[in-house]
Amino acid sequence: MNDEAGGIQRRTRFQAICQSLRPDLLRFAFWLSRDRALAEDVVQESMLRAWKAQDSLLDENAAKPWLLTIVRREYARTFERKRFPTVSVDELIAKEEPMLAAAEEQDVSDVRAAIMKLPDDYREPLVLQVLMGYSTAEIARELNLSGPAVLTRLHRARRQLRAACGEDTSMDPQE
Amino acid sequence: MMEHTHYRAAMLADPHDTDAELRAHREACAECREFTERLLRFESRLERALRVDIPPTAVVLPFERKPGNAARAPRRWMAIAASVLLGIAIAGGIWLSVPQQSLAADVVAHMAGEPGAWQGTEAVADSELDNVLKDSKLRLKPDAGIVSYASSCSFRGHRVPHLVVQTPSGPVTVMVLVHESVRKAMPFDDEGYRGTIVPVPGHGSIAVLMRDSKVGSGEIERIAARVDDSIVWTR
Repeated sequence: MNDEAGGIQRRTRFQAICQSLRPDLLRFAFWLSRDRALAEDVVQESMLRAWKAQDSLLDENAAKPWLLTIVRREYARTFERKRFPTVSVDELIAKEEPMLAAAEEQDVSDVRAAIMKLPDDYREPLVLQVLMGYSTAEIARELNLSGPAVLTRLHRARRQLRAACGEDTSMDPQE
Repeated sequence: MMEHTHYRAAMLADPHDTDAELRAHREACAECREFTERLLRFESRLERALRVDIPPTAVVLPFERKPGNAARAPRRWMAIAASVLLGIAIAGGIWLSVPQQSLAADVVAHMAGEPGAWQGTEAVADSELDNVLKDSKLRLKPDAGIVSYASSCSFRGHRVPHLVVQTPSGPVTVMVLVHESVRKAMPFDDEGYRGTIVPVPGHGSIAVLMRDSKVGSGEIERIAARVDDSIVWTR
């Protein structure tokens, strides 16, 4: 009876932790991999790992970075297990364009295409900051970088994105 | 005074940086203010772009798996290895084409559904206002200003107070979002609405926005601070 109650309690706790974070973890994994199917698999496996390791999460307020770290590690593991064929991003975006052409969302589609083209080193800190709400210090810790290195990458990421989206960058500082 | 280059580089790294020195420079420099406003408009697009839509069934929790569903992952691996290109171009493309709105975009979208909210200038009845605020466990101080619109609205699955307050700068919409936490102030400028979403420790956040306004982001921040000050939490 106690075991059953404990099991229910564990499930309830895990559900509460994951319920609100699941969509953002999927989005994060998608932008990390730029592949929806791969993102779903990575998050699915991450959920399993998190479920098994949930006793290691002592502070529920730290659930977001805890889960995000699990997702990043799981994504890294996929490349240890499999070698994926190299695919040109330009080719992928060109193929996606007809589906992204919905007029009312054109401004968003353009930004998405530009994000897809960002180098991994710029894309990941940007996604952590804008989507996951990480501070510079938190990004630095997660990516094992210095604070100034994170700021430089974020700065360059936005410069590249804005230029790619045809924004007026005449007032941007020159490097 | 801080150099323009330093200010703009810092803002490109974090457009929501609330550093006092950056704010002081922005208030003193018209060019950098214009730069910031452009940057924030782009930031709003970026936020919406990153929030790709997720099918609710995309991932299940381990104990939600149905019998026979356990082999899902390996099957997917095979499919990915066979056709990474097709997977991204088709499935990813469909997914990308339906964006999930950011919190600011949801607030702006909510405005479109209640255009009449901006019309009135007369104060609503106290009983009507109390009715709207009571579920969110708050009341307004008497000096909060004239509340010309008060409605309990459905927003992201919760009932939230949607108010319009008359201020010297014009009518301001306030949405009290006790279920939505933000880490820091999130200014936005989107679809003709300029505003900010500010954190309220222990009580979620408050969205404050103006329509077709020439009011600068600094003034919006001050209005948001005054709104925050005028709220008395009753729990």
